Amino acid sequence: MKLELNNIEKSFGEKQVLKGVSLTAEGGKAFGLLGRNGAGKTTSIRILMNVFPANRGRVLLDGRPIDYRRVRFGYLPEERGLYPKKKIIDQLVYFAELKGMGHADAVRSVDKWLERLGMTEYRAKRLDTLSKGNQQKIQLITALAHDPQIVILDEPFSGLDPVNAMLLKDVVREEIAKGKIVLFSSHQMNYIEEFCDSIAILNGGQVVLAGELHEIKRNYPRNRLVVQSAERERILGELGDCCRATENGALLITLPSPADKAGMMKRLTEHYDVDEIKVFEPSLNDIFVEYAGNRS
Amino acid sequence: MKQFGKILKFELRNYLQNKVFIGITLFLVIALAIVMFFPRIMEHFSGNESGDGERPVMLIANDSPEHAEMVQAAFAAVFAQYEVRLTDADPAAVQEQITSGEAECAFVLHSLQSYTYYVNNLSMYDSNPTTADAVLQSLYRTNAMIENGLTPEQAEQILSVQIAHETRSLGKDQFQNFFYTYVMIFALYMVILLYGQMVATNVATEKSSRAMELLITSANPVSMMFGKVIASCLAGLLQLVAVFGTVLVCFRLNRSYWAGMESFFDMPPELFLYMLVFFVLGFFIYAFLYGAIGSTATKLEDINTSVMPITVLFIVAFIVVIFSMTSGDVDNTVMRVCSYIPFTSPMAMFTRIAMSTVPFYEILISIVILIGSVIGIGVLSAKIYRVGVLLYGTTPRIGAILKAIRKA
Repeated sequence: MKLELNNIEKSFGEKQVLKGVSLTAEGGKAFGLLGRNGAGKTTSIRILMNVFPANRGRVLLDGRPIDYRRVRFGYLPEERGLYPKKKIIDQLVYFAELKGMGHADAVRSVDKWLERLGMTEYRAKRLDTLSKGNQQKIQLITALAHDPQIVILDEPFSGLDPVNAMLLKDVVREEIAKGKIVLFSSHQMNYIEEFCDSIAILNGGQVVLAGELHEIKRNYPRNRLVVQSAERERILGELGDCCRATENGALLITLPSPADKAGMMKRLTEHYDVDEIKVFEPSLNDIFVEYAGNRS
Repeated sequence: MKQFGKILKFELRNYLQNKVFIGITLFLVIALAIVMFFPRIMEHFSGNESGDGERPVMLIANDSPEHAEMVQAAFAAVFAQYEVRLTDADPAAVQEQITSGEAECAFVLHSLQSYTYYVNNLSMYDSNPTTADAVLQSLYRTNAMIENGLTPEQAEQILSVQIAHETRSLGKDQFQNFFYTYVMIFALYMVILLYGQMVATNVATEKSSRAMELLITSANPVSMMFGKVIASCLAGLLQLVAVFGTVLVCFRLNRSYWAGMESFFDMPPELFLYMLVFFVLGFFIYAFLYGAIGSTATKLEDINTSVMPITVLFIVAFIVVIFSMTSGDVDNTVMRVCSYIPFTSPMAMFTRIAMSTVPFYEILISIVILIGSVIGIGVLSAKIYRVGVLLYGTTPRIGAILKAIRKA
């Protein structure tokens, strides 16, 4: 299964929100959609889900225009909210039915998910009697109970404690393993880095960076070394301008060219007491700040 | 279609499980049952009080003794609920007896043409003097005729002559139909204002609780809007059936106590059918508008000001119809025009059908326009809904929304 957004443009009034966005997400893999607030993530998701049409561009599934009557979407919106005064089982079954399930199937599936997330005891309770984290889990069920082919999770980890975050990670891994397309949108880069094979960074309504995450990282110039050493001060003093201390106590040495790596490594290990040397790979956080930071 | 059914079921259940809805319905049913049983209850109490017990005393004091017997006899016949007693006491003593409670009221006659009526507390509905006037007038005339040589029988015959008359209405009987037309117009008014607000609040609540984020990606806005509006219409009708059903059942049980009112409850079936058609269509048109407005509100508090234009439009229509009804001229130009405008036709056309004679083709035109408008406004409101629910921040102006719809 391959989902493509093809050169999508969208304006609200005078304001152009999307300026030709193209993305590709594949089944069995997680895709990370990144961007600062107002970059166009939610608008892209809404167009993808056919809440409103694009001014230009197409949404394709396996190369053909997507048939919204056939494809089931599961959506966890960033703005959470259900019916606070209604019984949990009633509203979960209602949402599953709206997505096309029969009543009996909906009840069965919702019960299965309540059990999977350890929420069975709240089945007949009103939503507003639950804690925020538990409400979040209920909301997650609305995104998954109808067994969607495409799952869109907008900030899924916000508000979850570490135990629940672990549970959610397991659930997401299961969904990916089932061959579904899982689309993540988050500001918590560590989770994206953990799950997503490919990413796209949106800035000002345009894709400024897209591709496989490890490729992106590899393609960064490999002319920098990270050094852990007990003789930090000496190294700093003797190497001069090309060396600086980082926040976590390591040293970052920038070389004129990647070809100088071996020479520098040799020099360091021969002259200083070095614990660890490795080629610097930027974190997703670094990449995000670089691409999403300055152009909005 | 399947989705629409699910939404309808869910929304209808929302109403039927709503404690306020159940409370109001129960209250109305009980209150109306009490009203319908009131005459029976009243009779039960008053029967115990006066049955064979003592009747209040009415005193007759007469300055001219020659008519005293005759007056007492005539008064005793007319005021059967009183014990009519003749007295020789002077006016001061009569007043004393009344204030002390010995007697309830007194007529102090100066002649057959003039008297003073004494009563302790003059009730708003005290018709004793009017009755006494008629009795004395009749006595005076009888006396005068006898003095002029007629026999008492002849005098009696002249005075008691009856004129026979008959009224035949070839069209509608306005007086008879006034009652249920008024009730229907008023019910429509109440139900639309109440349920219209409910639809608006329902949509705005979903929006402010952000349940909308999920709904809009799960369901078609047209299904959503029609599901909500039809559910509220069914809930409203159900409430009306409960209320009017109670009235009808209680009326059947107390038929003898509501003598003279039967015609109000015997509505012709075709009029009932028209009532249902105009009621449902009228409800839809306003409920759709209320729903659309609810979707554009950002905060629940804004609802009341946002729905104001619709409420005013509706109240104006109501006033025009009620004025025309009470004036008796339901076929005036304003009413004729109003019976084709979809916002006013449910009330105006129904009133004309009930209280005057309207050609069938006019009714048909009105209904066709109304159905067309309901569909048009339904679809338009679904479009407003789709755009409106995703607009957070300030409540947008109508122009901005229409522009957004055209672009979307």
